[in-house]
Amino acid sequence: MIRAALPTAALLLGLAGCAASPPLARGLPAERPRALELYATPFFPQEDYQCGPAALATVLQVSGVAVEPAELVPQVYLPGRRGSLQAELIGATRRHGRLAYRLPGTGQALLAELEAGRPVLLLQNLGSRALPTFHYAVLIGYDANRNIALLRSGRSERLAVRWQSFARSWDRAGRWAIAVLEPGVIPAEAQVADYLEAAAGLEAAGHERAAGIAYDAALARWPQQPLAWLARGNAAYLAGELAAAADAYARAVALAPGDAVARNNLAQVLIDAGCTDAARRQLSRAEARVAGPEIAARIAATRAQLPAETSTNALSCRLGERDWPD
Amino acid sequence: MHINRFRRSCVMLVSASLVSLGLQAPAVAGIVGTAEAVAAAREQGDRAAVAAAMARDDVRAQLLALGVDPAAADGRLAALTAPELATLAGQLEQAPAGGDSALAIVGLVFLVLLLLEYTGTIDIFKKVP
Repeated sequence: MIRAALPTAALLLGLAGCAASPPLARGLPAERPRALELYATPFFPQEDYQCGPAALATVLQVSGVAVEPAELVPQVYLPGRRGSLQAELIGATRRHGRLAYRLPGTGQALLAELEAGRPVLLLQNLGSRALPTFHYAVLIGYDANRNIALLRSGRSERLAVRWQSFARSWDRAGRWAIAVLEPGVIPAEAQVADYLEAAAGLEAAGHERAAGIAYDAALARWPQQPLAWLARGNAAYLAGELAAAADAYARAVALAPGDAVARNNLAQVLIDAGCTDAARRQLSRAEARVAGPEIAARIAATRAQLPAETSTNALSCRLGERDWPD
Repeated sequence: MHINRFRRSCVMLVSASLVSLGLQAPAVAGIVGTAEAVAAAREQGDRAAVAAAMARDDVRAQLLALGVDPAAADGRLAALTAPELATLAGQLEQAPAGGDSALAIVGLVFLVLLLLEYTGTIDIFKKVP
């Protein structure tokens, strides 16, 4: 349901599959520059099979991380596959304190990143669908007048490719592209769930402070999104700040009373703070609205921590007298 | 080494009994994490529900089998979220691995052209009989 707001087909810039994809100029919105090139993007000529480390070092350096491809090899290269997996490029990005934001599969999204001054790390399939040859490259610009895409690719510092060939090679690789972002920077057309997922990845990789900056930026950008408040609450909870976590979860529940996950997490904080009556009420609400066995199991596990009978616990509740959302 | 092997067989035994009894692994009490909440919001929750520890062991074994240094494997695993590990488990042989050698492509294109030339489909190498 969150995905429903994905950019429309009108923004595909003619990347719609194998059918003859149109030249760049035809789909280029009037407000975009006709041509753009991020000249300052560094270049690392790749060693054999090592386009992953080379391309990743390129975008990490632009984001302010001083890292060389050789340092990334033990973090992403899979000798047995003679290449690097997408998931591991994302993991290595996090290890350097940067968010890996998966861009929507539209040409428009790529061009928007370039206009924001960020080169784009992407996967191409230079072979065919049946006999794929996957290759990571960095898109650094385009020229609608000459109908080309400009890439740092392999051993080419400035590879100019006909736009349609580039678009097809990207399409054959599943239109995978990521923006490597400093925490706090949000792409212009970002989706809240995609951004929070990227920030949560950073948190899971042990960069809690960087993730916290990203969550704050998400709240500033999407103050009405319950998921953003949930993420803020989770970060506070993991940092041991029960009151801040409870407040953030309460905001999430107030914005989305049907959100069983937010109610479960609020209940957990209330249990930790000794507010068992309030927790019991949140869990009953959550149980009435749960979707899916996984979340149901989590709610049941939370409930299992409650003492059997209702107790009057106004004195033991460490979060004080408050009206939690009903 | 022996302890590892013992732990491994214990894990296998417990996993096998859980599967054969049709029991779900007990859910962890506590908050639902952000990555998990996003996955649930996208209705992939059950995929992420594959016990994270099993997925981690699986991916670790595959990384080692594909030549990753054991000392480096743990850092690589720690950078992935539970839903990502669940998606990756069992897929390391098939997932796209970007890493072509530029020479390999040039060579492949050349071979195809040569083949087409010999079969008479194209005629670009004028000197080739």
